[in-house]
Amino acid sequence: MDILKTLLYLFVYPGLLFLLIYSTFCEWFDRKLYARFQNRMGPLHTGQSGILQPIADIIKLLFKEDIVPEKADKSIFSALPVFGLAIVCTAALYLPVWHYSTKVSFNSFPGDLIVVAFLLSLPTLIFFLAGWHSTNFFATIGAVRVLTMLFGYEVPLLLALLSPAILADSWRLSEIAAFYQANPFLLLANILGFCIAVITLQAKLERVPFDIPHAETEIVGGVFTEYSGKKLAFFRLLSDIEMVVGAGLIATVFMAGFPGGLWWGLLNFVIKTMIVIFLLSAMRAACSRIRIDQMVSFSWRYLAPLAVLQIFIIIILKGFLR
Amino acid sequence: MNEEKIITTIKENLKDKVLEITNPSPRRIFLKVDKNNLCEAISTIKEKLGFTYLITITGLDKTDSFELLYHFADDTNVINIRVAISRENPIVSTVTGVIPGAILYEREIQDMFGIKVENIPDPRPLITPDDWPEGAYPLRKDWKYERPGETIPGGK
Amino acid sequence: MEEFTVPIGPQHPALKEPISLRMTFDGEVVKHVDVRLGYNHRGMEKMAEERSYIQNLYLTERICGICSHSHTTCFAQGVEKLMEIEPPKRGLYIRTLVAEIERVHSHLLWLGVAGHEAGFDTFFMYTWRDREIVMDILESISGNRVHYAINTFGGVRRDISETQKQTILDSLSLLKQRTDYYANIGTTEPTFVARIKGVGKLSKELALSLCAVGPTVRASGIKSDVRKDDPYAVYNELPFEVCTADTGDVLGRVVVRVNELFECYKMIEFMLKNLPAGDIAVKAPRRVKENEVVSRYEAPRGENLHYIKSNGTDKPERLKVRAPTLANYPATVEMLKGCFIADIPLIFAAIDPCICCAERMVELVNDKNGEANIVSFSDLKKLASEQYKKCGNKPEPVSIAKQLEKIRRKS
Repeated sequence: MDILKTLLYLFVYPGLLFLLIYSTFCEWFDRKLYARFQNRMGPLHTGQSGILQPIADIIKLLFKEDIVPEKADKSIFSALPVFGLAIVCTAALYLPVWHYSTKVSFNSFPGDLIVVAFLLSLPTLIFFLAGWHSTNFFATIGAVRVLTMLFGYEVPLLLALLSPAILADSWRLSEIAAFYQANPFLLLANILGFCIAVITLQAKLERVPFDIPHAETEIVGGVFTEYSGKKLAFFRLLSDIEMVVGAGLIATVFMAGFPGGLWWGLLNFVIKTMIVIFLLSAMRAACSRIRIDQMVSFSWRYLAPLAVLQIFIIIILKGFLR
Repeated sequence: MNEEKIITTIKENLKDKVLEITNPSPRRIFLKVDKNNLCEAISTIKEKLGFTYLITITGLDKTDSFELLYHFADDTNVINIRVAISRENPIVSTVTGVIPGAILYEREIQDMFGIKVENIPDPRPLITPDDWPEGAYPLRKDWKYERPGETIPGGK
Repeated sequence: MEEFTVPIGPQHPALKEPISLRMTFDGEVVKHVDVRLGYNHRGMEKMAEERSYIQNLYLTERICGICSHSHTTCFAQGVEKLMEIEPPKRGLYIRTLVAEIERVHSHLLWLGVAGHEAGFDTFFMYTWRDREIVMDILESISGNRVHYAINTFGGVRRDISETQKQTILDSLSLLKQRTDYYANIGTTEPTFVARIKGVGKLSKELALSLCAVGPTVRASGIKSDVRKDDPYAVYNELPFEVCTADTGDVLGRVVVRVNELFECYKMIEFMLKNLPAGDIAVKAPRRVKENEVVSRYEAPRGENLHYIKSNGTDKPERLKVRAPTLANYPATVEMLKGCFIADIPLIFAAIDPCICCAERMVELVNDKNGEANIVSFSDLKKLASEQYKKCGNKPEPVSIAKQLEKIRRKS
């Protein structure tokens, strides 16, 4: 029975199948919102209000010609999209959505917060390697920009995730979520951290205003310039799933997780991640792309000090609570 | 500054180097000089009259000779400096020393008329493709383009 | 990092038309720029010599798709001078009206493009939505959205009715309101301003010596506008100011263009309210006496110059067209030096480049033997892949011919 449950966990919910379906839904949601913010219609024709458009796009890409540059390292070039997809899917398994209990198991143990954060920063390295191994000028510039940006946003993001963990006195996602479910008012203490986390998540996902590594008017496709066909489809899926997992992580840490077992938990998960994605889309519609040096100085000058301030607030608050 | 004043200033400064100066319509002055005095004429109108803005250089093929027109403007008037160039020896000196912005127009004249601009800082072709045949200058009157007969691929 | 040269163009997402900018980079900084034109050359000046004046009027309309009216007006008023005819007042008013509406359309389009180049797609979508209103006005006046074909020698071809006047005034008030909003966004939105402020500096002296034109030179603090300096049509009767900015950067060019939009609205309103009665055109002769004329016109991007020389027949001896974009290239090269890669599209877009305006001369690039030959699809593909190999990349051998064969076998 346990094995069946584990298999279900891995492949159906919240594993592969659910992730694929839900991430394409989220892409549709994001695209539709972005379009409506811009006074456009957005996807319209495939399915009800174009809800199947992202799936149709991915299927279309799977049938497209797949080109590998001659100078590129063929095996690495082809393996990277698959690796990236596997990494973000693995990260999704640690989100305390379903099938976790107070006892330590393979998907819930002290320190899994750090594991998820680590797994979420790996796609950035995958992007870097993808750009570097394309041997294309634009892709190389994109790759360098990916790494430069990583140094900008990674520290504020980790600091922001840290503060709720300090207050909950745990490094385990399910325990953090349970703590805030018991004391929902303490969530208000983390508002600043929440804002920082949403901004840095936007940078991690490389969307406007932080879409510097693949700014189309500057460096064509950035790291994805040489990618086409199936590999590009994998990268797109990777970005979608990364968005869901990132939103899920923020919802777990800052929004008290997803209580209520299978069905209520699912509803909680969908609503909370969609709130985060709504914020991400709004930010994308309201800003223009900034320059790489502006991005790095922004995150070190404002985001990192604010994240430290948040930690101080939490530590002082903790002192009072005792 | 009105046209008459400009004409008198030019005549005073360039004296007998002015071959012809006319004012056919309001705010338009046509000045003809020899091609050896071109740079001097330009620096005169630039320094004495403040005509700093070169609008463009027009090339004309008059079948027996070429003519170049340098259109200058200040805030009201346009001075068109006309220079005759022989067809046998089409050479003119560059004006980029006085007007740095003239470079693209001079390169265009080289491409289109085959008038060699001496001492031009950048003599590469600007508009014609790299494999353009030598000695084909499209805006000369004797250059004719004939559209090749079209055949539809796969058709009869 | 050592210096390396990269071709930006002829095909690049930042360039909407083909031009080749060969850039030398040192890291993310541009060291040297080389411009190569000719990818969009159509031989208009040569063609004009073989066509009659009225045919040339429609040919000049096709020089540019955005400022099509400016080239025809420039040409028409030059030829009218050669023909020694004077268009009636009402005709001139309608001509100027279309010119100013076209300027509104062009500047709104440019604002959107600037937003898009900076990655601000929302701005792009909003301004282009409102550009639709302008296009509708133009369609109601002339019957066309792009090539208005309103000009003819001796006046204009279509009149404006009272109801049209009212609809234009109504849409104008909406446009004004929206432009206020865009003026606010374009000059205060923090991420957008951070991208355009201090970028692409062009000093007053450099702008003068490199003969830059239009909003580019006005943003450097030089009051140069043909409408004021060398008034044509009815501009000496219209109330308007020449807009300038002192910053000399991309932000300054945004400010100049936005302020010009407001001036345009003012002029359009004035012209509609004071439209004189009478004819819209006079009859023009077919043949033109031998003469020459220099006609100037302030297009949305800067000054147009048409030099027309007639020879007594119904065809011009020579038509020289100078579009504003060509005049701005030397200044652009100077602005690009020392900028970041991220600034290239913005700086290049800031002159509002119209490559098809700037290049007009030889028809169909022909082969070495002077003839264009028809290339078969397979040859073309072979050539393309050879070219691609030269650049260091090779496509995987997925043969289109094989796929075609498959399809054929099936059917």
